[in-house]
Amino acid sequence: MEVWEKVFVKDAEFMESTHGKVGCVICHGGDSQQEDKELAHAGVIRDPSDGDCNTCHQDIAQAHDLSLHATLSGFKSALEARGGDVSEGTPLATAIENHCQECHTTCGQCHVSRPDELEGGLVSGHEFRLTPSTKYNCVACHGSRVGAEYLGENEGIPGDVHWTQEMMLCTDCHSAELHGSGGTDATRYDNPDVVRCEDCHEDVWTDTSGNPQHEQHLGDLSCQVCHSISYKNCYGCHVSIDPEGLPCRTSEPSVMQFEIGYNPLRSTERPFKYVVLRHVPTCTGTCDYYGFDLLTDFNAVSTWKYATPHNIQLNTPQNESCDACHTDIELFLTEEDIRPDEKVANEDVIVDELPEPVGK
Amino acid sequence: MKRLVTAVIVILVLIALAVTGCTNKGLVGPSPGEEEEVVSTCVTCHTDKDTLKETATTEEVAKSEATTGEG
Repeated sequence: MEVWEKVFVKDAEFMESTHGKVGCVICHGGDSQQEDKELAHAGVIRDPSDGDCNTCHQDIAQAHDLSLHATLSGFKSALEARGGDVSEGTPLATAIENHCQECHTTCGQCHVSRPDELEGGLVSGHEFRLTPSTKYNCVACHGSRVGAEYLGENEGIPGDVHWTQEMMLCTDCHSAELHGSGGTDATRYDNPDVVRCEDCHEDVWTDTSGNPQHEQHLGDLSCQVCHSISYKNCYGCHVSIDPEGLPCRTSEPSVMQFEIGYNPLRSTERPFKYVVLRHVPTCTGTCDYYGFDLLTDFNAVSTWKYATPHNIQLNTPQNESCDACHTDIELFLTEEDIRPDEKVANEDVIVDELPEPVGK
Repeated sequence: MKRLVTAVIVILVLIALAVTGCTNKGLVGPSPGEEEEVVSTCVTCHTDKDTLKETATTEEVAKSEATTGEG
């Protein structure tokens, strides 16, 4: 995006809209009476939505302030679960500030402009879009895993059927939960409004007749166990400050894998025994730059996490027949798949007893 | 007579104030006309592609070249 495009209000009719009538300086500051560019832009607030929206959109803005998009508490809770001290002034708090905060999202970075992480720029003039753009907002941040899976950008792996057949956009499934639950959630799965397949496919749960696989496995297997295919797994992330004094991170090349394991989030809402698991970038040395052994209880949480890959297919290699799954050890996360220093962390999710062959 | 003249003047002043309004524009902000003018100062540039092409500058955000792998 050209630099001028980022600030080009291409539709002057915006000024007649509700937000336009408020006037530029009310939100952006600056001095509108100055002809000189530098003087006019003195004190300008490029993204005023980090607070200003609360004036009119109080309920949503307050919920958003506690949401994962705003607080990034998912990073903090993951580190805390591994024994990390993320309280103010600690080395991990510094690491979070240096490496995680760039993903913080304001109202405007979903509804008006592209995210700062992608160097910003108005998406459609200055239009306030009720529905964020899949391409310029959602996938702009969630591109390397979810976006690439959904859109079929991983070589040899088809895109999600909801995209390839129905051209469904992110917001066709994800809506209210993006503003948070109103509480402080540790992960997106804590939000009661999180998307579930049965939100649309209710009939799968209410009428399994004629589908022996659903009759047999509904409730034991998450939908993705049968309907997902290979997805991206990340390894060996290390964060540090480079010689120029800039935050940087390195990670190993990601790997396309499909691994069924035991459910680490088993609950009333997610009663499944088997789910698909994704390896997270975190490793024992992720934060070593900031201090030795900062994750004092690294093994408390598995590095293979509950996952909901966005590459759903009706037909997959493992649901071709009963034994396509039951006799294929490669589909399951076993001890051989685990790195030596992560065996203890993952002992609860490793499949130690493979299903019996069915003979059909 | 002086009192009558004074009373008439006071009444005329009050009528004039009532007709023209007693507000102090400086205290309540710009009138709609002034606001339009103020707004157009921003809009004039930001709706003009050619002006923006001439004047827009890149705000360099320093990013580490040592970063590798997917985020």
